Amino acid sequence: MLIPVFAAAHNLSGANARFVEGLDGPAVIPYMYLGAKHMVTGYDHLLYLVGVVFFLLRLKDVILYVSLFTLGHSITLMGGVLLGWNVNAYLIDAIIGLSVAYKAFENINGFKQIFGFALNARAAVLIFGLFHGLGLATKLQGLSLSADSLVTNMLSFNVGVEVGQALALACIVVILGQWRQRNSFKKQAFAANTVLMSLGFMLAGYQFSAYLWA
Amino acid sequence: MNTKTSQIVVLQTDKRRVLLASFLAFILAAAVLSVFILPAEFNRDPLGVGEALGIAGLSQPAGVSLETVNKEEGAFHQDSVSFQLLPFEFVEYKYSLSKGSSMLYRWTATKSRSGESSAVSFDFHGESHEVEGYEESYSEGEGDHEGGTFIAPFEGIHGWFWANHGAEAVTLTLSTTGFYTESLEFRDGFEKKQILK
Repeated sequence: MLIPVFAAAHNLSGANARFVEGLDGPAVIPYMYLGAKHMVTGYDHLLYLVGVVFFLLRLKDVILYVSLFTLGHSITLMGGVLLGWNVNAYLIDAIIGLSVAYKAFENINGFKQIFGFALNARAAVLIFGLFHGLGLATKLQGLSLSADSLVTNMLSFNVGVEVGQALALACIVVILGQWRQRNSFKKQAFAANTVLMSLGFMLAGYQFSAYLWA
Repeated sequence: MNTKTSQIVVLQTDKRRVLLASFLAFILAAAVLSVFILPAEFNRDPLGVGEALGIAGLSQPAGVSLETVNKEEGAFHQDSVSFQLLPFEFVEYKYSLSKGSSMLYRWTATKSRSGESSAVSFDFHGESHEVEGYEESYSEGEGDHEGGTFIAPFEGIHGWFWANHGAEAVTLTLSTTGFYTESLEFRDGFEKKQILK
């Protein structure tokens, strides 16, 4: 399943895919690398993470939310691959786009203001984690994994995803921390989340179009 | 669950601002999608702006362009024929092709006894069905092989004349594939015509 370049928002690139498909048996480091690369270069996951930690001031909260996200996506990443779920990668990526818009809307207090009700933020991060994991599973399934070393390679990929996520988060948290020090943060935060919401809609529209026409 | 610590900080906003921001976010996304992303990535141009900007069809695979793909409706054929030419014998073998139809070809000439390559004189040419008596030569000379792509410049019969000027028997082998409709062989004053289905 080597999807054309224009859908590359989120697929493992052709050369990498061919490389790992040529491997026989367990390949811990290559799969770890691919997992990390997928996370660091996957702007949908990154935008979602920005949304999640945007207003988390304490490291403790960052760790809590990110752990819930990790738990969610690990469950469906491994479950999806092991059970061979055949979900459409574009639809999942469209939902991932909507998760970005959802988080941004939550950040500007949209649910309380408009619906008078907000889903528990921690539950939401876990649930969207499940969807992100399904997306990861479709990418990994796109590589024809050899059955004998499936579990090893999948776990390596998952570990790589977490390493990549930690690296990306470190950058995001430091930059957000610097930004919060400034007086203008309060003003810009609202605009930034509006932009984030818009980017989420764009991602969703892009992936849904790819589902329809690609 | 301690509500005080579980409460994440969110912006203090009001309903009007949230509605306005969500509306703007949605409109911006819809605009970028319909002006740039749909025309450039999916060749869908709901507003016609992509065409004006010159980005419509940016991601079309090259194979779809008219210059590289020439679609044909006719039957597709693949053939291989061979002839033996004694010294000073000649033969003509042609295919009917309509204008713009194409054919891939390759022929070789070898000495019948030893199998070594052997030069013959050849003339690859066409005769028009539209203009009485019109002939055009595409490639002629001496050689032991030739191959290529042929696109018929007019409707008619197109093919080869080969003559063996050597002292030994020569075997000619012609392989073709394309959208021709019939084959014609001219030899010793006889014409052998075969309609291909």
